[in-house]
Amino acid sequence: MTSKHPPRLATWMLRRFGSGPDNEALIGDLTEQYVKKDSVMWFWRQAMKAIPISFAREIRSHKLVAARALLTGWGIWILCLLTLFPFLGSLYFGVGSGYSFGVMVPGVLAPFSPGQLLGTGWSLLWSPVLGQAAIPSGLEGQARAISYVIGVALPFLVWSMCGWLVAYRFRDQQTAVVLLLAGSNLFMALFLFGPYILMIGAVGIPLHIAPVAASTAASVMGILLGGGLFRDRLLYR
Amino acid sequence: MLDGAIFIQYREEMRKGEYLGNFELMLLLAVLRLDEDAYGVTIASELEERTGREVVVASVYATLERLQERGLVTSSLGDSTPERGGRAKRYFRITAAGLHDVRDAKRDLVNLWKGLPELKDEKA
Repeated sequence: MTSKHPPRLATWMLRRFGSGPDNEALIGDLTEQYVKKDSVMWFWRQAMKAIPISFAREIRSHKLVAARALLTGWGIWILCLLTLFPFLGSLYFGVGSGYSFGVMVPGVLAPFSPGQLLGTGWSLLWSPVLGQAAIPSGLEGQARAISYVIGVALPFLVWSMCGWLVAYRFRDQQTAVVLLLAGSNLFMALFLFGPYILMIGAVGIPLHIAPVAASTAASVMGILLGGGLFRDRLLYR
Repeated sequence: MLDGAIFIQYREEMRKGEYLGNFELMLLLAVLRLDEDAYGVTIASELEERTGREVVVASVYATLERLQERGLVTSSLGDSTPERGGRAKRYFRITAAGLHDVRDAKRDLVNLWKGLPELKDEKA
């Protein structure tokens, strides 16, 4: 015997991450049908399929909006990487620590090289995490703590701002564009750090895997929170 | 290589959707059968009953939205009931253009059906 109320977590996830103007009608339909079917598994299956289906539908229907949302989000992030992060990093680690503007900017101009992720344009995207490798010896204690703040808290704050701006600017497709930005962040983390982790081998993994995971999780959560997906009312409702 | 005008025409025809897909046609037929009671749950149930396959309600909405963009169906918000958690229903109705496309699809399929020895004992 099951309850006549549909599974709360599935309903919550569908309400937060389901895209498109018909999401509320869809939840109503599933709720109504659940009363008749009385199957928790059926409801979960429907809800978990509805999230990617509605997301894909919304993105396919608004390709230009999706592209502009990605450009906006990543544009702000790169702007902050070029200005805010190196400035804060140089305050603590000093010029030449690998965080300073002078070191990072020539990196932008360096060609992509899978064997040289540090110091190329690709590493710029991940300087909050990779910068920890540049902490001078003897400064590990406080410097590492501050480095974690820069590597986790700053991405969280900056991506929250990006998420909010993208959600506000493209509010008619709020859920879909925020999910797209969060997904692109996760994809970039796997795309860039997958080869990097393989390259540095097992010895370097304990040193890098925690900052990478923490920074990525903070970035994704920042986008979802800033993008308003955990609020009861979306911008267009 | 396609020249510009032909490419634009090709894109336009693709966008309009010259032919109805299998699921699109089934949805339009279900909407027709249900008449004024066609909304997500009833459409999905009708399809499940007729085809014997489970239907994802979200795909019903995704496809109907696409058909609505092509002007083959219209939709309107209806009443909400407590068993729906107070959420309104979205009702769908087929348009004249939708009916025309369904008739065309039937005619094309019946013509293709005729004279096939493999399908001789089956009704179209």
